[in-house]
Amino acid sequence: MTLWRLEWLRLVRTRRLVAILGAYLFFGLTGPLTARYLDRILGGIGTEGVRVQLPAPTPADGIAQFTGNASQIGLLVVVLVAASALAFDARREMAVFLRTRVRGAAAVILPAYLVSAAAAVSALTLGTLAAWYETAVLLGGLPVARLLVGLACGALFLAFAVAVTALAAAITRGVAATAGAALAALLALAVADGLTGVPWLPTRLAGAMETLVRGEPATGLPAGAALTAALTAGALAAAVAVSDRREL
Amino acid sequence: MIVETRGLEKRYGPHLALAGVDLAVPRGAVYGLVGPNGAGKTTLLAVLAGLRVPSAGEVRVAPPRGRVALLPDTPQFEPWLTGREVVALARRLVAPGVPVAREERVLADAELSGAADRRVGGYSRGMLQRLGLAATVVAEPELLLLDEPASALDPAGRREVLDLIAGLRGKATVVLSSHILSDVQEVCDTVGILREGRLLFQGPLHDLLVGRAVPAYLLRLRPPVGHVADALRAKDWVVGVDVLDEQRLRVSVRSLAAAEWLLPEALASCDARVVSMNPQAADLEDVFLELTS
Repeated sequence: MTLWRLEWLRLVRTRRLVAILGAYLFFGLTGPLTARYLDRILGGIGTEGVRVQLPAPTPADGIAQFTGNASQIGLLVVVLVAASALAFDARREMAVFLRTRVRGAAAVILPAYLVSAAAAVSALTLGTLAAWYETAVLLGGLPVARLLVGLACGALFLAFAVAVTALAAAITRGVAATAGAALAALLALAVADGLTGVPWLPTRLAGAMETLVRGEPATGLPAGAALTAALTAGALAAAVAVSDRREL
Repeated sequence: MIVETRGLEKRYGPHLALAGVDLAVPRGAVYGLVGPNGAGKTTLLAVLAGLRVPSAGEVRVAPPRGRVALLPDTPQFEPWLTGREVVALARRLVAPGVPVAREERVLADAELSGAADRRVGGYSRGMLQRLGLAATVVAEPELLLLDEPASALDPAGRREVLDLIAGLRGKATVVLSSHILSDVQEVCDTVGILREGRLLFQGPLHDLLVGRAVPAYLLRLRPPVGHVADALRAKDWVVGVDVLDEQRLRVSVRSLAAAEWLLPEALASCDARVVSMNPQAADLEDVFLELTS
């Protein structure tokens, strides 16, 4: 029994792995389906006499539907799952068990971070594969290389989001406070992105898959990826440093 | 000494939780840290375990950190782990070199072998406490810090935990905090009395008890008892008489031997109707109340 296995069991026995995989798989399956039949759906629920006319859906629309849902509800699930693993000081008695048996907080944070991040990336990959398959069946083929680069960008963004959650767990106590602080930080970043339009902010990576499969230029993505990787490492280092100084 | 502190202070804002504590725990002792709620017991144990940083003073804990184990007052574990997995994790984290068979041994000592493969979310308070002890001793620590290990248990659970602690004598040094004085008197050989962050007494339990409490008899009589109390107060071998209620008197005497000779006659001479008459030996509770009042 190791801390790595502990984190794996946390995902499996609490059904959190099912929740995270299920969320992304659901959006992967329903995204392209929605894009394909959006005009009929709108027509079915529209006012009588009003006719909704949409342009014919493209394969990129299928991926756009998937990333749109995944970057909101999927991200929420990822942060909640990660917070439940990383906020290990939430209950003092449980924290005492771990903290009196390891040399430093890094020994606890790193397995929790890596297992949570791996689950999130696996879920994104599963969802992307489902969206890719369904898009191919319903809407047509996708540029494979660009899709895979977009997947890598999305995975890096999720790794960043989990690192932000780790830092939030070190600063606050409790799962709800951790998830709230992490989501607030990510929302603030998205707002900054919307206001400034800076192309190299980490939030751009979340929508990179759609940008790339539409054939748009990937301006700022390499710089954004480099910055996100650096911020991820920085957030983790800060989480360990802050956690090591916390008293129980 | 396995643990020594000098002038140890711990401050939380304006509140001084520990005020110049000079703790000295002999190697091999079962040391009872007693004090009312809020005395600073949990803070002191947390400082010794390295979970809190002292505001001032010195702390010297002889064993390396991996050889010191702390059991909180209400141990909790991930409810989806089994008891066996908790003990296995504790062993693996602290002493991976200790044989796996040790896990079975401590589970058996804690009488948890039958429940070892059940998830701890279904354990009772007593089982969790025993599991906590099993997870604490599995790595064979030199120093065990037990925070109120039996305070929240029913009598049967308390008995089981006290027996487990008594079984640690000779195997490790134990520092246990408690406000249940009878527990401390039963299992500890050394005590420290803490009040409002200050150590009022520290030393062998025997030294604390002998010569402190006045010998006394506890009398249960048919009412009224007032005239009996007045009659006894007039005797030169009686130090004092406390009327506890309408049937009970506590008679403090110069010596139990004198009382054995003279008390029956004194009671008979004032027509007291005696239901029971018991010598009251000095116990930790008397001394504790004397020191902390």
